Amino acid sequence: MINPPSDTQPAWCPGCGNFLILKVFDEAVAEAGLDRRRLVLVSGIGQAAKFPHYTQANVFNGLHGRALPAATGIKLANHDLEVVVTSGDGDMYGEGGNHLLHTFRRNIGVKCFVHNNQVYGLTKGQASPTSDLGFVTKVQTRGVALEPVRPLALAILEGCSLVMRSFSGDRDHLRAMMVAAFKHTGGTVLLDILQPCVTFNRVNTFRWYKERVQPVGEAHDPTDFDAAMKLAMQWGDAIPVGVIYRSGRPSFESQQPVLEKGTLVGQFEKAAG
Amino acid sequence: MTTDLLIRVAGEAGQGVQTTGNLLVAALARMGLHVFAIKSYLSRIRGGLNWFDVRIGNATVYGGRESADVLVALTPAALDTLRPHVAEGGAIVFDADPGAADAPGGCLCVPLAAIAKETGGSAVMANAVATGAVFGLLGYDLSALTAYFAEAFRNKGDETVRANVACAEAGAQRLGGAAGGIEAPQPGGEPVSVASGTDAVGLGAATAGVKLVTAYPMTPATGVLTYLAGAADDYGIVVEQAEDEMAAINMVCGAVYAGVPALTMTSGGGFALMAEGLSLAGMHELPVVVILAQRPGPATGLPTRTAQQDLLFALHAGHGEFPRAIFAPGTPEQAYHLTRRALVIAHRFQTPVILMTDQYLADLVMDTPPLEATPKPIDRYLVAAGDDYVRYAVTDSGVSPRAAPGGQGFVLLDSDAHTADGHITEDLEAHLDQQDKRMRKVDGLTQKALAPDRYGRPDADLLLLCWGSTYGPCREAVDRLRAAGQKVAMLHFAQVWPLKPGAVRRAVGLEGDDARPPGRIVCVEGNQTSQFRTVLREAGVGVEAEPLVRYDGLPFTGEDIAERVQA
Repeated sequence: MINPPSDTQPAWCPGCGNFLILKVFDEAVAEAGLDRRRLVLVSGIGQAAKFPHYTQANVFNGLHGRALPAATGIKLANHDLEVVVTSGDGDMYGEGGNHLLHTFRRNIGVKCFVHNNQVYGLTKGQASPTSDLGFVTKVQTRGVALEPVRPLALAILEGCSLVMRSFSGDRDHLRAMMVAAFKHTGGTVLLDILQPCVTFNRVNTFRWYKERVQPVGEAHDPTDFDAAMKLAMQWGDAIPVGVIYRSGRPSFESQQPVLEKGTLVGQFEKAAG
Repeated sequence: MTTDLLIRVAGEAGQGVQTTGNLLVAALARMGLHVFAIKSYLSRIRGGLNWFDVRIGNATVYGGRESADVLVALTPAALDTLRPHVAEGGAIVFDADPGAADAPGGCLCVPLAAIAKETGGSAVMANAVATGAVFGLLGYDLSALTAYFAEAFRNKGDETVRANVACAEAGAQRLGGAAGGIEAPQPGGEPVSVASGTDAVGLGAATAGVKLVTAYPMTPATGVLTYLAGAADDYGIVVEQAEDEMAAINMVCGAVYAGVPALTMTSGGGFALMAEGLSLAGMHELPVVVILAQRPGPATGLPTRTAQQDLLFALHAGHGEFPRAIFAPGTPEQAYHLTRRALVIAHRFQTPVILMTDQYLADLVMDTPPLEATPKPIDRYLVAAGDDYVRYAVTDSGVSPRAAPGGQGFVLLDSDAHTADGHITEDLEAHLDQQDKRMRKVDGLTQKALAPDRYGRPDADLLLLCWGSTYGPCREAVDRLRAAGQKVAMLHFAQVWPLKPGAVRRAVGLEGDDARPPGRIVCVEGNQTSQFRTVLREAGVGVEAEPLVRYDGLPFTGEDIAERVQA
């Protein structure tokens, strides 16, 4: 048998935004004082979904598009765990679209870090749900005709409790957003992380994002639904980044009477003696 | 055969057919009669034609039959459709004023709704009048029915109890002594306890310590979801309706990874959507249990009817090769115990287990010894992860020590091919090590496999094979054929995968010291292609059988099997 050499190094292209996201993630975990033994990283499939393998944490690397229900099951079984979903735009906004919608509605305490590079990488360059109109690929040969998914607007509309956007090229901003996500206790967090794909997206490059991202001003009130929606729909010459929306809804797990007596896993162990 | 009698209550959906049937079951079982009940219903909320059969006897009744001794018809359509299926000498109770010009002939006309309104103040109590009328017709004393009303309507107040009792008495008075030649089993003895397949599965799951239940509603699996939602506070269960079946099985994967027993339930179409998740459970080595309540397909098929058509599908669902076990209970009592066993085996071998029921088993109510309701949590076979813990240590048995996240060591699962520590790999040797490790669990699963149960004569010339819910009708067929002088026996497979070939061959009579090969073997099952015969071949059992199949959406009956096997 010809056995290809195995490699424990990240399977990402040189220059991929994922490297920086990984570095910032580790910094944010340290800054938030998280106990990594209680940290569970859940992902689906794609290049971003390999992320959990390259840091120190418990890992549930599941099926394409199904990270959110798996994360939901983990959080319900043991709500003392910090459950973070880290996956790409194709996995989260495409294949897992129905789960995304209903996870926002459910508002369970799962933190979603979506590496959004507006293109499919692992399958080699097809359109993603967030590709801009007219984006040409070997499959979308005449350019994308589908209206792009607006993940932040969807999250706000369906009641996600904390909605944020950042850019992999702004380390301090991204770290601050991740720390805010870790500190949030009110339910589902969406952190959409804009990130260049150096191999397959020649349009939305590092520079393209860099010239467009604009931190939301101090004046923005994240509890103002209409103002948040307006920012969430903003795309093109100026792309707002920062804390876009806070719904103030109670988390799903905080509304389960059964969980008032502790985690399910703790209750099982108590009953089993 | 002992005396048995079948009461059929028929009307439109929403008319109280089920309520009347439930009243009859509860009251008759209290009187020490053995009861078997099954409903036949349509996929609609109002209207149509539904019926509820209550068959009673002096010994355990294992199935239904086509002919009714007493038909209670609440609508002209019910009368027209079911009249031809009333046994000779049987009685028909029809909801009409006997003095009305259009009162049908040959019926015992009782204005059920009118009496209910007059006596109880509401037409809703027509079911109490109907039940009373049947009791009167059969010459049964009303005391058990009265006691049931007192208990069931305690929270609704004395007035409700009194009104229902009065309605039942009025109904009984109308038909007292009208039975004619109908021979009714004599009540007596201790109350008989009964259970439905649905409730037995639910209680089995709750007492085994299931902590998360999630499903997308689908007939005929929804009953278990509803049961567990009702039991959630008592047993400390979170019940969540998932957005789809993919979400349901992936939530279960997440929950069992985190350390709690969890399960989901669905029917064929939903199970198809779960196939990828089932494969994930195989790869992740997670103790996932799926209750697959079958109905006829393909596609949407007949949502409220029964079938055993998904056996080969359950056996082969999911891409790739991974171990699994499949159980198929025959009675509510077995359903209770096998739900627990499904969870135990899943945890012992860290692999998916499927419990196959169907509309018939889910809905039927029959004699069942009282089922233990006290929680008795299963063993999860978990270890505590130390600093050097790896999830997929290669072992002889194929079972690696399993830990839940949150302890000292990290627990890593990957749906990709992975190394022993759970990291993604494309190293083909590591992949082979893990694939072989997983498949070694088949040996352990096979050793733990349940042998088929034998019923009937040890020196049988004719052997019937069946699995799952066909147990009851097959058993009645054996009794009928034996009464007719045939040397007959049956084997019931409550576990259909894996099979232990030697144990099956011994049970059939092909091996062992007392081997006595039957002259004829017939495989009785609810599908068109006799799928269990394929399973027997796939398992290398070396038993060939003739098929006897039914796939019209209705369950087998003992009469049906006995007649066809002799034809």
